Amino acid sequence: MLSGLRLQRLPSAHPGIALGARVAAILLALLLASIVLEISGAAPLELGVQVISATFGSTYGIEDLCLLLIPLLMTGLAVAVGQQIGAWNIGAEGQFYAGAFSATAIGLFVPGPEILILPLMFIAGAVGGMIWILVPTLARAYAGVNELITTLLLNFVAALMVYYVSTGPWRDRVGMSNSATPRVKAEIPEFWGLVHWGLPLGVLMAIGFALVLSYSKWGYEVRLSGSNPSAAKYAGIPVRRHIITVMLLSGMVAGIAGMFEIAGTVHRLQGGISNNFGYLGIMVAVLARNSCVGVIFSAALMALILNAGIILQTQGLTTSAVLAITGLILFLTAIGDELAHYRITRIKI
Amino acid sequence: MNDTTPSLPLPPGTPPLVQLKGIAKYFPGVIANQDVDLDVMPGEIHALLGENGAGKSTLMNILTGIYRPNAGEIIIDGYAKEFASPLDAIAAGIGMVHQHFKLVQAFTVAENIHLGWDKTPKRASAQKLEARTAELAAKFNLQVRPGARINELSTGEQQRVEILRVLAREARVLILDEPTAVLTPAEARELFKALREFRNRGNAVIFISHKLDEVLEISDRITILRGGRKIATEQAEDCNPRSLAKQMVGRDIVLADMRQRPVGAAPISSEPVLRLDTVSALGETGLSALHGVTLDVFAGEIIGIAGVAGNGQRELSQVLTGIRAPSSGRILIDGKPVARANAADFVEMGIGHIPEDRLHSGLAPALSVTINAVMREYKKPPVTTAGLYRPGAATTLAKDIAGVADVAVPDFGMPIRNLSGGNQQRLVARREMRIANKVLVAAYPSRGLDVGAINTMLKYIVELRDAGAGIVLISEELEELLNLSDRIAVLYEGKIMGVIDNDKVDIDEIGLLMGGRQQTKEVA
Repeated sequence: MLSGLRLQRLPSAHPGIALGARVAAILLALLLASIVLEISGAAPLELGVQVISATFGSTYGIEDLCLLLIPLLMTGLAVAVGQQIGAWNIGAEGQFYAGAFSATAIGLFVPGPEILILPLMFIAGAVGGMIWILVPTLARAYAGVNELITTLLLNFVAALMVYYVSTGPWRDRVGMSNSATPRVKAEIPEFWGLVHWGLPLGVLMAIGFALVLSYSKWGYEVRLSGSNPSAAKYAGIPVRRHIITVMLLSGMVAGIAGMFEIAGTVHRLQGGISNNFGYLGIMVAVLARNSCVGVIFSAALMALILNAGIILQTQGLTTSAVLAITGLILFLTAIGDELAHYRITRIKI
Repeated sequence: MNDTTPSLPLPPGTPPLVQLKGIAKYFPGVIANQDVDLDVMPGEIHALLGENGAGKSTLMNILTGIYRPNAGEIIIDGYAKEFASPLDAIAAGIGMVHQHFKLVQAFTVAENIHLGWDKTPKRASAQKLEARTAELAAKFNLQVRPGARINELSTGEQQRVEILRVLAREARVLILDEPTAVLTPAEARELFKALREFRNRGNAVIFISHKLDEVLEISDRITILRGGRKIATEQAEDCNPRSLAKQMVGRDIVLADMRQRPVGAAPISSEPVLRLDTVSALGETGLSALHGVTLDVFAGEIIGIAGVAGNGQRELSQVLTGIRAPSSGRILIDGKPVARANAADFVEMGIGHIPEDRLHSGLAPALSVTINAVMREYKKPPVTTAGLYRPGAATTLAKDIAGVADVAVPDFGMPIRNLSGGNQQRLVARREMRIANKVLVAAYPSRGLDVGAINTMLKYIVELRDAGAGIVLISEELEELLNLSDRIAVLYEGKIMGVIDNDKVDIDEIGLLMGGRQQTKEVA
């Protein structure tokens, strides 16, 4: 008689095990990172303590964290929304730029009281993001062109456009810097400390999307269309219309993220304002498994990692080391997700 | 019941080539196999018969090393074996040809034969591989073209490549899963010939099927599985279709004329409820798929659509249900022409549709049972009231449908792909029957189902006919069409070759029409 342990694959993962696998993956990634740090001569434990005390030890730390969280939450939500209809919006980066650009245009060149300008900037940001995803959307809906490529390529266009206006026609001619626009006067009011109202708004949007998807006829149709377009056509659902609406909404959310960044955090348009938030949003959405509410948590995790990265940089670690840790966490999470489908059983033969 | 007399005279004491003893396999919440014993002797063709979900596939996956049993022994040639992987099973001489071929489409036959084989020469030119393949083909008497690419081959030829690949690895036990499902009758005869030759060399074949006639034709012994357990092993000559079917489903089944109406059944209407008037339509590739089709569907009748698959059946069912807009011609519902084809409107008007490939177009496999079950009624109360989708009400409706369909669903939130094919089809059928008060278009409703499930499906259809709906039954099983239909239309290359009253039916004539011959005289 032989006995041994054997892995058995289950059709769907148990939620508790899935969560456990995720936590384990993150801990393992941190452990691996610590080992590498230890070998390269740094003291991981001290660094860890520093990161935690710098983040949670002061109001400043938490404020910084929240300011990172807002754009990540929004771009993550943008990607997750696109995924509901089965579209990969890789272009949240470009839509973020487009939203920031449009909001800045209103903020700089439209005179008026802040109470009017701010909503106008919000609308401009939303519309900017939608315009930026419009061509990929129509190409996907009417010609079946893969949105991965089209949305991605438009990112570069948007980045260069913003770089051009912020160092060229719109540059601040008064201040010392030649690489940013003048300060945009309209500001999103603060909600807590330095953290502006973008945070609660973003959380509300995420919850709102989740509710609409689960509890509306429209949400039902979108979920069905995203999961199996031919079944949706069979059910008489206007799939094309839903693709257009949902992709535009996805672009809109990313555009609003750009507007929040301008009017809430940075207040000037400058090249590189997106800080890769659009791309990080893809990771946020993947970590959240495209759940709109899940995005809130995965964005918080991502913000924590990025914030830790910034603190570590002040301790002499390079950006690449920080990015490597981020990548490690994602990689191990993906493995953890897969392993959560397995169950260990003892067999006797 | 357990005497093991093979067709070849064997010396006494010859151990079975394959012996399974007390095999059990459990999946979460499911007993897939329990106490299964199976002996396969050298020189026999052993059929494994059972309904969908009877545990045939699981048992064969255990024998081929894909699964490990939770209990029981595998004994090959008298020696207990433990298969840690399919490679061990292949090494022990067990090879399987799956229903869906596992060939690389872009590779040649020779390349596919030599793929992942340790006997493949390390450095071999295409010519050398092809020569080796030709040699193997000659040795096993299986006609293949070594240099041809797989995507150039017919299904029958592809199957021969699969078999040759298994035999080349010195398999002594050949397992075939539903091998004739994809073959023409002539190809099936070729296959049977090859299988008999293989058996006569002292090897064994395990033949999985649920077609009773062919099981009786090809096999020496038959083992029947039901609900994961072995019911019996019998000599084929002692069996008849009726007795086998009974053991398989555990009850008597009616393979008979179902055209009789019970008292109180709705009569056939005088005016068609659905009419296609010289309708043409384009197919998926943009080529013309239907040409000037005129078809009347009356309430309370079943009109059968015969024809070889791929002659416009898919497009016809799509046009009939509003999924595909005709390129010319008119669709009339209750005598009124339809302005714009729209699937949702057709559903609204009481036209249901059991699509030919339920997983691809009738269900969203990754979504929950509930979401799939309410697909036809999600717009209406109680599921949606005032634009609000109510998951609780949806689950209640899903439970109703599952209850009527007699499908046990452990969790309505789980993806519907976790259900077996037969259960999925029953849910789809019941879902469609709820809304199909005018017309039901049923495309291959029994495809991929076993006798018991087919019977249930056909009973559903008759029930709906008696309730007064018009049924369009698209099928490639002529027998099924003859049993059910009041009239039979034959589709060939997108044209209706003729509509024949079932009473005046002449099978030869249908055969001719299916082959594209014109009808000689008008019979309808």
